[in-house]
This record gives sequence, C-alpha cells and structure tokens, in this order.
Amino acid sequence: MRMASGLQQPFRNAVLILVWSWLLLLVLVPNLLVIAASVMTRDAGSFLSLPLTLDAYRQLLNPLYLEVFLQSLYMAVMTTLVCLLIGYPFAWSLSLMGPRARILLIFLLIVPFWTNSLVRTYALKLILATNGLLNQGLMNLGLINEPLRLLYTEGAVIIGLVYLLLPFMILPLYSVFEDLRKELLMASHDLGAGPLATFVHVIIPLTLPGILAGVMLVLLPAMGLFFVPDILGGSRNLLVGNVIKNQFLDARNWPFGAAASIFLTLAMAFLMFAHRLSKRRIGEEGA
Amino acid sequence: MKKLALAGLLAVGLTACSSEEPQVLNLYNWSEYMPQQVLERFTDETGIRVVYTTYDSNEAMYARLKLLDDSAAYDLAVPSTYYVSKMRQEDLLMPIDRSKIEGFDKLDPELVNLGIDPENQYSIPYLWGTTGLAVDTADVGGEVTAWEDLWDKRFAGRVMLTNDMREVFHMGLRVLGYSGNSTDPDEIRQAYEKLSELMPSVRTFNSDAPRMPYLEGETDVGMIWNGEAVMAREVMPKLQYVYPDEGVIAWMDSFVIPKNAENPEAAHKFINFVLQPEISALISEDIGYATPNLAARDLLDKSVSNNRASYPNATDMINAEFQQDIGDDALQVYAKYWEKLKSGQ
Amino acid sequence: MNRWLSRSYLTLVYLLLYVPILVLVVFSFNDARTGYEWGGLSLRWYHALFGNRAMVQAMWNSLWLALSAATVSTLIGVLTALALHRYRFRGKQLLNSMLFIVMMSPEIVLAISLLALFLLVGIQLGYFSLLLAHVTFCLPFVVITVMARLSGFDERLPEAARDLGASDFTMTRTVLIPAIMPALLAGWLLGFTLSLDDVVVSTFVGGPGYEILPLRIYSMVRVGLKPEVNALGTLLLVFSLFMLMLSQWILIRSKR
Repeated sequence: MRMASGLQQPFRNAVLILVWSWLLLLVLVPNLLVIAASVMTRDAGSFLSLPLTLDAYRQLLNPLYLEVFLQSLYMAVMTTLVCLLIGYPFAWSLSLMGPRARILLIFLLIVPFWTNSLVRTYALKLILATNGLLNQGLMNLGLINEPLRLLYTEGAVIIGLVYLLLPFMILPLYSVFEDLRKELLMASHDLGAGPLATFVHVIIPLTLPGILAGVMLVLLPAMGLFFVPDILGGSRNLLVGNVIKNQFLDARNWPFGAAASIFLTLAMAFLMFAHRLSKRRIGEEGA
Repeated sequence: MKKLALAGLLAVGLTACSSEEPQVLNLYNWSEYMPQQVLERFTDETGIRVVYTTYDSNEAMYARLKLLDDSAAYDLAVPSTYYVSKMRQEDLLMPIDRSKIEGFDKLDPELVNLGIDPENQYSIPYLWGTTGLAVDTADVGGEVTAWEDLWDKRFAGRVMLTNDMREVFHMGLRVLGYSGNSTDPDEIRQAYEKLSELMPSVRTFNSDAPRMPYLEGETDVGMIWNGEAVMAREVMPKLQYVYPDEGVIAWMDSFVIPKNAENPEAAHKFINFVLQPEISALISEDIGYATPNLAARDLLDKSVSNNRASYPNATDMINAEFQQDIGDDALQVYAKYWEKLKSGQ
Repeated sequence: MNRWLSRSYLTLVYLLLYVPILVLVVFSFNDARTGYEWGGLSLRWYHALFGNRAMVQAMWNSLWLALSAATVSTLIGVLTALALHRYRFRGKQLLNSMLFIVMMSPEIVLAISLLALFLLVGIQLGYFSLLLAHVTFCLPFVVITVMARLSGFDERLPEAARDLGASDFTMTRTVLIPAIMPALLAGWLLGFTLSLDDVVVSTFVGGPGYEILPLRIYSMVRVGLKPEVNALGTLLLVFSLFMLMLSQWILIRSKR
C-alpha cells in the first residue's frame, strides 16, 4: 500500500465524502423511509400516521392480494423462462461466430436497448392489434379468417416484456459462453459422454452464473415495468409494479405500497444471494 | 428533412430565448377534455400559456394534488361532482372570487347550488355527461339495452369498461338493484362478486379515451362516456350510444382552484373565458358533452342540441343516478375489491 | 451446434427484434390518419410534431435533464471509480456492493423511496427532483464503465508520474483522466440515454412544472394509436443510434 502523502488525503477524503453522502442521502435514507412507511398506518388526510402496525404485511398475506402477487410472479417467471429459452441458444450461437461478426452482432443487439422502451412497446401494439399488421398479414395469407385477439391479453404483456428484456438475458449468457473452454467439451467427449450428457453435466453447470445473472436482470424488471400492462394488457394490474403504483398514485395506501415494494427488494436480495453462491461454487470447482 | 429540423431548432430556440417570462396556467384535466383551439384562443387573447396535464381518474387527480400540495403545482383542476365535495371538506380548494367571473348567472339553475358545494363558493360547473352503453352495431347482432346484457356469454373478450372504480361498481350495483352510491359493505361485496363474473369477458379498461378500443376494433360493447361516443360516431357511425334500462350514470365536472395555486388570477381568467356562451358552445360541439351554460345551448347547432347522446331527454334519464361523495371508509372498501377485480383475466 | 441451424436461428431472432422498429419507422411516413392502412408517403406527422409547442417544450426539457444528469453522474462516477481503484479504505467493499445494489434495484423501488424522501424533506417535484433521481440511477453504470477501463490500465504510468514529482492531483489530471477519457465519454453517453428513456422513476418524481418527453409520450400512448408517436419514435431512434455509434467509435478508437 502506498503511503498517503499530504496532498493525497484531502482529494481522497473529498471524493469519499461526496459519494458516500450521495448514497446515504439518496439511497439508504429513502429506503429506510420506505421501511418506516410500511409499518405505519394509512391516513386519509395526510399520507401516513401512527400507530406503528404490521397491517400492511398482513394485508399482503391476505388471500385477496396473495393472488395478485402470485399472478405477477407468474408473469415475471414466464417472461424469464421465455427469455431464457430464446436467449440461451442465441448466446451460444453468437459465441460460435467469428470475432468480427460477433462485434457487429453484439452491436445490433444493443441498438434496441438504446431506443426508447415506451416507443418500442407502442410499436408492438401496432403489430398485435386486432386490425394490426400481424392479423392483416395472416388474413392476407389465408391462414386465418377471423382476426386473433392478441392485444390486451396476458400473452401480449409477456411478449412485450420479453421484447424489452431479452438483451439483458443474452448479454450475461454470451459472456459465459465466450469463456467456455472448448477443451472441456472435448474432454467430456473423450471421456465418452454423449452430447446430451455433456450439455447437462458440463455446459449447464459452467454457464450457471450467466443463467442466474440473466434471470436476475430479467425477473426483477419484469415485476416492475408497470407501463407494459398499461399499454398491452388493457390496464390490468398484472405486475407488482402496477399494484405499487396504484397504491402510491391512486389509492393512496402508502403502507401497503411500501410493503409491496419491500417484497420486490427481498426478491432481489434472494436472487443476488443465489447468484453469488453459484459463482463461488464454480470458482471452487475451477480451482 | 433538413428544413424541418431547422424549423424545429428555431421553434426550440424561440421558446427558449423569449426574454419575458410568459404567464403560465397549469391546467390539470382529463385526457382530451378541452379542444386544442380553445386553449390556443385563450393564449391569443390573454397571452397566458396553458400547460395541459392529464389524468384518467378522479383518484389519480386527487392523489396527485395531495402529493403536490405544497408545491403550488396546478392552477386549475376539473374533478367530478363527488370529488368537489370531498376536496372542499378537506380544505384543498381556494374560494372562487365571483366578482371576477362573468356569466355565472347563465348556468342551468338545476346544476348550481348543489349539495356538493352550496352557493358554488369553490366550484364552477364545466360540463356534465353520462356514462352509458356503447354498442358497435356492425359487429353485435340483437338488442343491447341493459347493463345486464354485458354479462351475456356471446360478448366474451369483447367488453370494455371504463378504468374508473366508482363507475364500474355503479354499474354492478345497479344491475343488482342497489344504489350506485351504496356505502353498504355487503352490497359492495355483492357487486364485486357480480362484476367478477363479468371479468372473463372484459378485454380492457380505458379512461384515457374510452372510444379508442371501439374504433380500433378491439371491443364491440361496453361502457363509454357520452361525449366519447359522439366523437367516435364521426368516424364510426355504426357505434351506438344506449341508455341502459337500469339507469345511466350521471356526473358533472367542475372547475376548482387548488388552495396553493400559483396563478389563481389566470385560473379565474380561464374560467371566465370558458363561460362565454360562444366558447362553451364550441366545446360542447367539439367534444360532445353537455354544457351547463344555457346561453351557450341556444347557440348550438341543431344537430348537436338534438343529439340525444349529448343532451338526453326525460325518458333517457329515467333511473339515472348522479354520483355522490361516499366517504373515505366506503372508498377503501371499493378500492380493495377494485384492486382484485383488475388483477386477473 | 449445426452451423446452418445456429445462423438461421440468429437471423430469426434479429428479425423479430427489428420488425417492430421497422414498422414504426415506415409508418411514421404514412399519410393515413388511422394506424393500420397505408396512405402514401408524407411528412405530415413530423410537421404535426414540431407544430406542437408542448411537445417541443418537453423535448427541450428532456434533453436538458439528460444532459445535466449525465454530466453530474459522470463527474461523481469518475471520481468514485478512481477512489475505488487507487485507494484502500474502510468500507470499500460496502461501497462496491451498495453501487451494485442500486444498479440491480427495480426502478419502481428506487422511485417510491425517492418520492418519500422528497416529500419528507419538502423538495418540490420538478427539475431538481428529477435531476437527483436520474443521477442516482445513472451513477453505478458510470462507475462500472470507468472501473472496467481502469482495471486494464498500466499501473506503472502513475508511479512514473509520481516519481517525477507530480502531486496526486496533478497526476490524476495529467495521466489518469486522459487515459480513462473514452470510458468517461461512454459512461456519459450511457447515462444520457438512461435518463432520456426513463419512464418509471420520472412518473413518480416528476412534477407538472417540468414536463419531460417520456411522460408526454406515455400519456399519448395511453390514449390510443397516434401517428405522431411513430414520428417521434423514429426521431428518437435516429438520435440514439447516432449516440451509440459515437460511443462505439470513441471506445474503438481508444483501443488503438
């Protein structure tokens, strides 16, 4: 370690004070406020009042709301699964391309990510609508006689979420496939493992950190992106994000909204923990 | 393209460079509830620029006003009847200085001095209207005359409801024969159960522009506001506005000035501007709702004033019920079931 | 995997990713009033867009917000990355994890927590609250971009500078900053884009006095299919494509 010179200290300290106070004031304190809000009582006049109570959490476990949460979990899990099913072979195929082509293809993958997500969701509406392009196309081809009712369904919301979040699944998967050493696959083959056995016992475990990172990057936003059900799902409360938004901006039940958001935070903590665990295991096996 | 970009830049530059701060009126209103040309004419006449921000439910409007209470965010808002009394009682409104308002005496005597705001100290009626049935007769065979008909299985996946808790429950309560303003938890629960039978048929909720799902061909039957139906018929004559047998939902929207408005002067000017018979008539003709301004009604084109969708006759209003304030406790009961209703397919 | 199979699969997915964008661009030049038919080429929706004063104002506001949020977050982010890279201090691991948590947090959680803070402290919802919120969610991305660059940095350079008698501050200014310039610019561009795109956080912490583009688009899109949105989307696409090319160009050039 370097010895701290006289000039170094003030610079270092100033930077640390700046970033720490930013994070404390705008991340830690606000989150503590949310926790505090979740144990307070809803108040019709102002937003919150005493006494402290666990009512909001009890309400979360009420069968009425539990169903809402299971529903939104289902949407997020379906989205993640579809992303994984599309993204896994995609990332694998990508890693097999030549180095130059790969740069271009990765670039093409992140272009949509840099485009306004609302506008892209809206573009999907143009395609999925009853008089939309997909139905027009299928009818012109004579494949269907009646337009399919696609818009304002759960399916449309899942399509929208997958469309917005797919790159977040592919990029971490791609990076683990890039590190996947060909020798390992050869070795597995030489040891007599068939393609399926190699896939199950070698490839999947080695790409697990990528899978988990992708799941984390898709599952969490998939629960929160409230504007997708608003536009493609007929304004139903299909995601936890919609419930939280309604509690804060319509029904004005802050304790309940706060408790719902803590649910999301816990889901995040759980996923991060799982990801870390899987990474550590790979590290041990590699060593 | 280059020219266009240049024009855009110029426009940006001009708005940014104008040295004098122009006066601004922050108007908080329902989506598409004020013709663009009215706003432009107001700006031309007074030099006050109107910033038009929208909401799609009274609840959202109320929550936002509460949230922004201290920051003097809006100068004018347009709540429905029952929210006028709620906001007045909670001391969220500024009294309206009647000496600055001309034309109040021309308003329909039946629509002023109501229980929601005796002597109209805090509110000036803007428009009134009804929520009834929309039927796309091109796609729907047979008669649809009652709210109850929406429960018909043949409409599966083709029904639209407004994204408005009170209105949807109003319909459910009326179908069961209860008052649309019920505060009885048991009646509300029954309405919820009745409505949940309808849910599998419901395609979408929309209070931003309830005509759009019909125009876009997504839904064929369901709820609609009368003005939206009138606007829709201009492009889709087959869409019918029906007064349901159980009774239509009636409401009135009024201008109110939030307590902390930054520019109440401009708000008064705007109310004044709208109360001019000519302007009120223009609004009613353009967006299809009924004006409470009797002087304006005389100026209306016959095709508008005889349009039963905009201006119902006495038979249309049989069983009609005005929405009323039901208190926070009952609202919480509604809110709980509403959340649940909207959560599934 | 079969080479042909994998290539056609890639093509298919790229097609699916780009079809909606293509539809949007094509329809933005559509003369027809309704969203679905083709009525010939026209620029009328672009004219309508620039004729709408509220829209132009919102664009201007959004650009200014993105510009300032990206700049502030880059400033803080670069300093943080330098500190994390160069110094050992207590709580370093904690700082790292905290930034990671901010990055992973669902936007809506960040949004309501900040809303609660602003209400409690009495900060008016408007430009300033938006700025604070946007800087907060951009910060971790800037730090990560710059850290990635620093980890590949030759440690002997700063040592040499110090041996030549440069103070820490001078060394940072003359050696480190130029070396991380590309990452700094890339981080800035990323922050700019994130800010310009954000709907979730802005819905909560935005105020009526400072209307920004995503919220304007949101209220338009909820009303129904509006051809102006196609035109606006196309403009945004061209703009972000330009930004992305710029950032890639900077990164590639710097590697030489």
